[in-house]
Amino acid sequence: MTQKLLQNCGKCGLCLYVCPVYKIIKEEQSSPRGKLQLIKAYENNNLATSPLLKEIVSKCLMCGSCSANCPSGINHYSKFMEMRKNMVEAQGEEPAIKSLIYLLSRDYRLKFGAGLARTGQKFIPDSFAKNYKLGNIPLKNFPKLNSIPFRKANDEVILPDKKQIGTLVYFTGCATNYLYDDTGFAFIEILKHMGYKIIIPKDQTCCSIPLLFHGAAGKSLKNITTNINTLKNFEADKILVDCSTCGEALKNEYPRMIENEGQDPFEANKIASKVMDALSFIDQNFDLLEFDSNIKEKISVTYHAPCHTKNSFGSNIIFENLLEKLPFVNYKRTPDVDECCGGGGTFFYEHPEVSKIMVDKKIKNAKAVKASIWLTDCPVCRMNLAGNLNDNDNLQVLHPLNLIASALKPL
Amino acid sequence: MLETQIKNELIKIVGKDRYLDRHEEISCYAYDAFLVESLPDAVIFPETTNEVSKILQTASRYKIPVTGRGAGTSLCGASIPIKHGIVLCFSKMDRIIQVNTRDRHIIVQPGVVNADVQKALLPFRFFYPPDPGSMNTSTIGGNIAMNAGGPRCLKYGVTADYILGMEVVLASGKVIRFGGKNIKDVTGYKLSSLFCGSEGTLGVITEATLKVMPMPEAVKTMMVTFDNLDNTAKAVTDIIGSGIIPVAMELMDKLTLNAIEDSANLGLDRKAEGSLLIEIDGVMEACEKEMKKIIEKVKKNGAVNIQTAASELERENLWTARRSAYGVFAKLAPDIITEDVTVPVSKVPLMIRQIMEIADRHGLKAYILAHAGDGNMHPMIPTDKENKEDWEKVEKAFSEIFQAAAKLGGTLSGEHGIGLAKAPYLPLVMNKDTMDFMRTIKQAVDPDLILNPGKFV
Repeated sequence: MTQKLLQNCGKCGLCLYVCPVYKIIKEEQSSPRGKLQLIKAYENNNLATSPLLKEIVSKCLMCGSCSANCPSGINHYSKFMEMRKNMVEAQGEEPAIKSLIYLLSRDYRLKFGAGLARTGQKFIPDSFAKNYKLGNIPLKNFPKLNSIPFRKANDEVILPDKKQIGTLVYFTGCATNYLYDDTGFAFIEILKHMGYKIIIPKDQTCCSIPLLFHGAAGKSLKNITTNINTLKNFEADKILVDCSTCGEALKNEYPRMIENEGQDPFEANKIASKVMDALSFIDQNFDLLEFDSNIKEKISVTYHAPCHTKNSFGSNIIFENLLEKLPFVNYKRTPDVDECCGGGGTFFYEHPEVSKIMVDKKIKNAKAVKASIWLTDCPVCRMNLAGNLNDNDNLQVLHPLNLIASALKPL
Repeated sequence: MLETQIKNELIKIVGKDRYLDRHEEISCYAYDAFLVESLPDAVIFPETTNEVSKILQTASRYKIPVTGRGAGTSLCGASIPIKHGIVLCFSKMDRIIQVNTRDRHIIVQPGVVNADVQKALLPFRFFYPPDPGSMNTSTIGGNIAMNAGGPRCLKYGVTADYILGMEVVLASGKVIRFGGKNIKDVTGYKLSSLFCGSEGTLGVITEATLKVMPMPEAVKTMMVTFDNLDNTAKAVTDIIGSGIIPVAMELMDKLTLNAIEDSANLGLDRKAEGSLLIEIDGVMEACEKEMKKIIEKVKKNGAVNIQTAASELERENLWTARRSAYGVFAKLAPDIITEDVTVPVSKVPLMIRQIMEIADRHGLKAYILAHAGDGNMHPMIPTDKENKEDWEKVEKAFSEIFQAAAKLGGTLSGEHGIGLAKAPYLPLVMNKDTMDFMRTIKQAVDPDLILNPGKFV
C-alpha cells in the first residue's frame, strides 16, 4: 500500500475542466477527482477490485494536466500508477498490453519484436491493411518501422561539424529508435551544426513510462536501474530527449521511484538535473543556428502541443514563440493548440470511442488554419494525428526537429 | 440501489447509458467540495426538460429524494445527497441555446459551464458578470441554485441580479416558466429570486435566460500596501464613500501576505499590515479620473506603497498573489477549510481581529482574505480533518466566528451558501418566524419534501 501523501484532495473540482477525458465523458468517475475518491476507498478497504474499477482507472491519458493545475499539489501521476499496478495484479492485463510490456521491458526483445513486426508489415495483404484498425487508427496509417534501429545505425560518439563547444548525451527513447529515426537524424544534424559532440549510449533502454502506466512497476525498476547505470558513466553538459514523456520519466519519476525503493537517489537526481527537452534546448541555443538564406518561400506550419511537453516542461510556449521567430515559417496557431489529441500512450487503443472524438476535433481545427505541416514533439501524438488523417487532407505530421534541420544552412 | 421496478421506469425515461448505479460509479457522486459524504442510490443524466419532468413525476410517486448537481463544486455541501435517492446530474444538459447581445441576453441549459458562457460572449465583446472562483468548472444551474457571487460582484452584483427568465420543473413534474427576454419585467411575483439561491430545495432549473453586459473599454488595477490594518479598511470605505464602486477590492492581511511570499516569492512587502488590490473599469477617461481619486484616498489613509499596472502583463502580475493564495494555503496541511462570513464593510478590521483572536485561542492559524468592498471574508484554516482533536478545534473556532459575525450585524455566508455546512447556525441570523416562513414556502411547492432533503430548510 502506498504511504499516505501529505495533501488530501480538497475536492474543489478544478481538475475537471482541465481533464480531457472528463470533458468528453462528463461523468464524475472519469475525472481525476473521482479517481482519487475511488483510490482512497480502495486503499481504505472500502472498495474491492473489479473489472469496472480497472476500466475506470485505465480511462485516463496520464497527461498530467490534473497535477499541473491542482491547488493542493497532489501527485495524481504516482497515485494513478500505483493504482494501475494494483488493478493489473488483481485483474490481469489484456494480451495486447501484456505483449507490449513484455517487449518494452527488455531491449533485445524490442529489437527482435521490431524485426518480426517489420516482416509482418511486409506480408500483411493490402486489403487487410486497408480495412483493419488498431484502436481508431487504420493499420495502413501506422508508421513503417525503421529498417535499422536508430541507435544501431549510429556510432555511440558523434563529433560535430565544426569546433566542439560542448558534449551532450542523447536519450533517444524507443520511438526514435524503432519508429521515427527521421527525428533522431534531424536532431544529430542540428547538434552537429551547433558544434556539439553527441553521445548516444548504446546500453540505454525504454524509459519505463509505458510500463509504469500499465502497472508493471517491478519490470520498470529494472529499466530505470539500467538507464541510470548507463547514463551516469558519461560526462555531459545536458541529457537531451526528443520525447517529453521520456523526459518526464528521467526528470521526475526516476528520483521518486529510486527513493520509494529505499535506494540512494544521488545518481538519479544528478541525471534529473541535466535532463532537457529538445525544444527548450533549441530555444536556448538558437543563436548557434544558421539558416539557409536560399529559402525564399515561407512554409505554413501549425503545432500540436503534447500534454507532457506542456505539463512537465512548459516548453510548448517557448516553442510557439520560436515558431513566430523562424524566418522560413508562417505559423498558424489553432485555438486548441495545447489540448490533448487523445493518443495517450495506448489510450487510443484501449478507449477508441473517447480518443476518436478528441483527435477528430484536433484535425478539424488544424485543417481550418490551412497549414501544410503539423508539428508535434511526441511520437504517440504524431502517430495518432497522422494515423487519423485522410490521404487527401494534405497535412504532413512531423517532429519540430525535422523542420528545423531541413532549413539549416549547408556547411 | 432503487427497487427494480422504479429503476426500470427511470431507465425507460433516459436509457440505460444515462442511469448509473454501480458502486464504483455512485461513489463518485457522494461528495462535493464540502467535507461530508453520502451515497446516492442512482445518478441520472437528463438531457431535456421533458426527461427531468418525467423523472420527477416518478420520484414524486415513490417519494424518492432528488438532489441536483452540476459540477459538484459546492463549498457548503448543497449537492451532497444526504438522504440518498437520486442525484440528478446536469453535466450532459449543456447546450447554449441562444446568444443575443442585441437584446442583451444569453439562453442556456443548466449544465453549461460559467466559463463557456464567457467564451461564447467574448466575440461580441460582452460578458456575464458573476465570476465565482469555480467558474472554470461550475455550471450555470449550480450558480443559480446557489446565487453565486465572485470578486467583481462588488460592482456588478450577484447571480440573482442577472436572471431575466427561467424554466423550472417542480417536484410534481410540472414545468413552469417565468420572466423572459425583457430587461424590465414586473409581471407577477419575481419568481427568479425565489428559486435563485434555493439550493435545489424548491425546484429543478432546466433553462435560464441571463442578462449580459458589454465589456468595459478600460480596466485599471493597482496594489496598495498599508502599515496599519484599520487604515487599510478605512481606505475601502473612503473610496466607496467618494462615489467610486471598484470592480474588486481584495484585502490581504500580514500573515497571508507573508505566507504567500514564503512559497511564491513574488516580492510582496513583508512588513505591510494590510494590502488592497483594487480594480476599476469603464470608459478610459473616467477610469483615469477615478484612479487619481483612489490614489488620493489611499494616501490620505497612510498608504506605504502604490503599484499601478501599466500593461495587461503587469495587471496579471498584480493579481498573481491573490490568485495563488488558495493554492499556497492548500499545501500547508492535508486539508484547508475556507469560510465566507460577511460583515458590513466598516466592520471588516474588527472582524479580522476577532477571527485572529479566535484562531489563536484554539491554537490554530487563520489566513484572511477578504472581498473587502462588500465585507465578504474568506478566513482559511489549514488542518488535518482526520486528526480528531484538531478537527474539533476547527469546528469550535468556526462556530465562534459565525457568532462573532452575527453580533457585528453580519451574516453566515456571502457566496458559498448554507447547505449542510451552516444549517445549524441559521438561528444566529434568522428568527423562528422567518425560518417557519421558509418552511411554509417549501411545503407549498414540495409537499413530499423530495427536493434536496436534509438541507437548511
